[in-house]
Amino acid sequence: MKLVHIYKTFYPNTPKEVKALTDINLTFKKGEFTTLSGESGSGKTTLLNLIGGLDTPTSGQIFLDDQEISAFSETQMAKLRLKNIGFIFQAYNLIQVLTVRENIGFIMQLLKFDDKEIDARISELASILQIEDILDKLPGEISGGQQQRVAVARAVASRPKLILADEPTANLDSKNSERLMRMLRTLNEKEHITVIFASHDKYVLEQSKRIIVLDDGVVIEDR
Amino acid sequence: MYKIAHHLAWLNLWRRKARSLLVILMIIMSLSGLLALQGLYDGMITHLINTTIRSDSGEISLYAKEYRLDKSLDHILSHVSQVEEELSRIKEISTYSVRLEQEGLIATAHKSLGGTLKGISLENEKSFGRFDTFITKGTYSFGRKNKGALVGSALADKLHLKVGNRLIFTAQDANGEINAISFRISGIFKTGNPSLDENTVFVSMENISQFLGLTESATQIALRIKEADSIKKVQKELQILFPYADILRWDELYPLLIQMRDIMDIFNLTSYAIVFIIAALGIFGVILVSVLERIREFSIMLAIGTPYKMVRTQILLEASFLGLIGYIAGTFLGWILLIYMATAGIDLRSFKAGLELYGYSAIMYADIHFYYFFQAFFAVFFATLLSVLWPLHILKRIKPIQIIQGKML
Ligand SMILES: Nc1ncnc2c1ncn2[C@@H]1O[C@H](COP(=O)(O)OP(=O)(O)OP(=O)(O)O)[C@@H](O)[C@H]1O
Ligand SMILES: [Mg+2]
Repeated sequence: MKLVHIYKTFYPNTPKEVKALTDINLTFKKGEFTTLSGESGSGKTTLLNLIGGLDTPTSGQIFLDDQEISAFSETQMAKLRLKNIGFIFQAYNLIQVLTVRENIGFIMQLLKFDDKEIDARISELASILQIEDILDKLPGEISGGQQQRVAVARAVASRPKLILADEPTANLDSKNSERLMRMLRTLNEKEHITVIFASHDKYVLEQSKRIIVLDDGVVIEDR
Repeated sequence: MYKIAHHLAWLNLWRRKARSLLVILMIIMSLSGLLALQGLYDGMITHLINTTIRSDSGEISLYAKEYRLDKSLDHILSHVSQVEEELSRIKEISTYSVRLEQEGLIATAHKSLGGTLKGISLENEKSFGRFDTFITKGTYSFGRKNKGALVGSALADKLHLKVGNRLIFTAQDANGEINAISFRISGIFKTGNPSLDENTVFVSMENISQFLGLTESATQIALRIKEADSIKKVQKELQILFPYADILRWDELYPLLIQMRDIMDIFNLTSYAIVFIIAALGIFGVILVSVLERIREFSIMLAIGTPYKMVRTQILLEASFLGLIGYIAGTFLGWILLIYMATAGIDLRSFKAGLELYGYSAIMYADIHFYYFFQAFFAVFFATLLSVLWPLHILKRIKPIQIIQGKML
């Protein structure tokens, strides 16, 4: 994953104009566990959305395996997201009418994995994420921390190239935050999944191997 | 993918049970009501047309030219037995009835009124249109000496006539002489055809022929045709065969019936429009609200890469389930109502006075046609399609990530 001269401006050429990102150049390697950090309004979410193909840059290019995804159409982008990127949002990630098991298998189903493989993968992830007991419950019947772990399971189930998580711990207490991050780190090491966070949560930063600090849309630190 | 959409649609339908059931119930009520009404309207019209054909016009009637403009004995069909011979050779004709009528004055001890004396053969009329079933009082006969008369019920009321009473008929005969003849009433009939019930007295053909001084003569020969499809063809044939006669179909003789049928068709169309609107608005409301309240969920689905096509299929299916369940239950209920009304009939006796004006009989039977269910299906089907357009448009327009982050809506 490579970003070249990325700019993102909201409401360009109007009085409301916001320059959210300015000349971002970054490369992410396979297996990295990176956090985008910085103050509120510094552009973390904006950058993560661009990487995930949920938004398009005002200028600049984004490459994934030599494909320029910043030039994709919305339909191509949807396909790319389905196949290559797992998302974990801040909260309410799950489909309410589906059981935990069905939620975890949802993307694999869309990608037409066969049922046996899906079942095996669900069991494997359920055990790592400690959600075996709630597989047949509905999202409304489990806690916020459990919901986030189910979201993690869904995001990683089909082994995408990249996992993106925007403040996945924001709605969790410290105990649950720490637990979620430990599990994500385990998965990262076990399955060599590339993970990029946007967060200023200390539990997230603690577990990260690489931290990129943004300030007012500019990278000021990369360690 | 379709399987997942189907699964999601079905689960979501029952996630908001009360709302779904309400819409389904709305469709059921309006649809079954519509079907029942349509069957009843059609039944009324069919009944009217049938009694008219049975009691008077047949599918086709022959008159002497000019007779219908000037009902005088100058314009009558003569050499009837020759005509009958020709008619019996046309295989599409199942039966026919020869009638001779004259207008005159009907008098009783109380009162006198203008009316028509019509000569028929009871046997012929029985096979022609089961005229015997129209008798409400007395018997289907002209008495022992064949000198009796059958009187229309409305006419009998006006003249205060009962079975066994006498009436005197005064009219011109074929030579222009004024003559009178008396009859004892052997029966009273009610056909639902006002032109008969209000002013006609039926007597035997021999009786009236003798009274008018005519033989081998008729004012009308009515025909029953076996197949409805061949009516026009037979009409053309007869026109060539009998150039001196007017050959008229029942719908030409009673254009009002066709007008009534057209009015009923408009009625039916309006009812379909109402069902369509109820179904469309009902489904639209439910789908719109449920899309809006699930907008975040749909956004998450779209963000993680669910194809828009699948979301569209899901919503279409949700709407279709509502429409389809409503349709199936509604047509089933409507069908039961129709079957009931077609066999047991519904008793309109409480409205009798009003309806009789138009010639309806007291118990109405519904018609059932297969196409009712087709029409209903298309009404619900298009309502379903139409109702999801706007909700789908909303979903197409949204930026999922903005909704997930709470920046939109
Ligand atoms: N959809 C949008 N329309 C207009 N302005 C936006 C939009 N999204 C973000 N911005 C602006 O871009 C800048 C960067 O916002 P962004 O959400 O990326 O910050 P952030 O680092 O994620 O902040 P936080 O820690 O509060 O989540 C902010 O000034 C914000 O107001
Ligand atoms: Mg943010």
